Amino acid sequence: MAENSSELVVETYKLTKIYQNRQIALNDVTLKIEPGCVLGLLGPNGAGKTTLLRLILGLHRFTAGWAKVFGKKMTPNAAYLRCRIGYIPTNPQFPRGMTPISYLDYMARLFGLPAQVRKPRLASLIRAVDLLNVSGDPIDAFSNGMTARLAVATSLINEPDLLIWDEPTHGLDPEARRSMLELIKTLAREKTLIVSSHNLSDIDEVCNHAAVLSRGHLIYFGSLQDLKGRMRKNHYELDLEGDQKAITKAMQTIKGLSDFRSVNLRQRRLELRMAEDANNASALANVFMTLADNRITLVSIRSVGQQTEQAFLDLVEKEESRGFARAYQAPEAA
Amino acid sequence: MDATAPAKPMPINRFLPYWAVFQSDVKQALRSWIYRVWVLASFSAAIGYLLYRYGAKNIGGLVSGAPEIMGDLLQWVAWGSVTLVIVLTAGTICSERGTMADSVLSRGISRYQYFLGKWTARLALVLCTFILLAIVGLFGSVLLLHSETLSLTGSLVAVATVAALLAMVITCGVAVSAMSNNTVVSIAIVWMVLYCAGFVLSLLPENYPSPDRALHALPNVLKGQYDWQLVSRLIAGSLALSLFVALAGMIGFSRRDV
Repeated sequence: MAENSSELVVETYKLTKIYQNRQIALNDVTLKIEPGCVLGLLGPNGAGKTTLLRLILGLHRFTAGWAKVFGKKMTPNAAYLRCRIGYIPTNPQFPRGMTPISYLDYMARLFGLPAQVRKPRLASLIRAVDLLNVSGDPIDAFSNGMTARLAVATSLINEPDLLIWDEPTHGLDPEARRSMLELIKTLAREKTLIVSSHNLSDIDEVCNHAAVLSRGHLIYFGSLQDLKGRMRKNHYELDLEGDQKAITKAMQTIKGLSDFRSVNLRQRRLELRMAEDANNASALANVFMTLADNRITLVSIRSVGQQTEQAFLDLVEKEESRGFARAYQAPEAA
Repeated sequence: MDATAPAKPMPINRFLPYWAVFQSDVKQALRSWIYRVWVLASFSAAIGYLLYRYGAKNIGGLVSGAPEIMGDLLQWVAWGSVTLVIVLTAGTICSERGTMADSVLSRGISRYQYFLGKWTARLALVLCTFILLAIVGLFGSVLLLHSETLSLTGSLVAVATVAALLAMVITCGVAVSAMSNNTVVSIAIVWMVLYCAGFVLSLLPENYPSPDRALHALPNVLKGQYDWQLVSRLIAGSLALSLFVALAGMIGFSRRDV
């Protein structure tokens, strides 16, 4: 993590948001986001993800703490900071009667872009997001996929350095979702992104950092690799091809190995669960040797279970189980 | 663009976000049914009343002076319009709270600019429409009625007086809208505040400017018989109060969550 705060894209310190003294939406969130980071914001419903994003954007005022964007404190009037941010809300809403061209033109004018800059840029973006054929049609009649593409174009109209996308794949069909993920990967090469999503496989695929919120509290912030590293990779599935008798025989042999807690065969799919203290590399090597000895072809092997998902659930569960101990935070953790 | 490279200087027109909100709000208000009902009702009432008076003059021989008729008309427009103008302005900002405001306020616009854009847009639209209607009414009364006693200066002062009062109503509507989360609540608050203020002012001594007295004095003002000090105090007071309320609304809005 960068030590110099001027290098940071986003920095929050003890950020807290309490709505009208009735609801604690965010509690003591401290994080630092460096340039080039693709941060996945995770958390159950009501965890405070959208509140955090809205505080970073200056749409909400913080009850305590502060948020800095590009080294400057974010406030509702810090328009010059928002000029460097591209935002997609959860369910983007568009004014009635507008077309993609008029809407993008309006958004570009909100960034203060003069006509000679905004007109060519909006034309390029409409082409890029494949809305050229419907660029003169009213947005009201657009499908979810089309509004999502328009929202992407809107968030890029000002060529931002920081992109904040709140559940960008929400409500998209598989094809549109795939395009969105590919776009995030492309943008991640040049920009800093904060992506909030319920879909952990999306986060797993496109992000290099993760922040996990639970009931308004930040319970993890770090690299996705570290988050996944918290989970042991001890559950595998192997798809096999060969004589069924040979497969059954191989399974019996593998069952005899001490490295495995359970070995199950369902037709030609072998499910292996390793013991806690087993070395997965040597255990799998033994499995491969056994399969080769029995002339069985290995079609595919995969680690079962979403590691990010497991790690996320584990973190949330651990946080819940701490109970009143949460009231005390060790100095080094704070 | 490289994330680590220094940001490219982007040509930015600082006035453009305000202007974008202004234009967008004027278009939005022009499309709203409340605005259309207000214009249609005011125009129909004005034309209908002038024709009725014209008919009464020609057939019944009842001589109707233009100042009295225009005074009545301006008074009715002012009283009758207040409800619709409140409805038109009290939802200006709070009706967009939430997702719609997200897509505007998350861009390169400050809360001040957004408020100013909305306020001035409604102010310009309602006042321009009123002035246009008043000009049509005055022109019609000159053509159709006994207009010898109608004074040009008096007409301008009368229109300016009603416009100043309407400006106050519009400003209150937009300011309360910026501070409220709900359009219905906002309308109720503006109604109560304005009518209570109007009632309290009407109880004050005659030398204090009051909307009620100013509207009743319109026939005389149209004849050019007015106390300039009293009228100017009313206009200046309304404008000063409008500015103060707008400033309070703007500051309040900049401190609220959207």
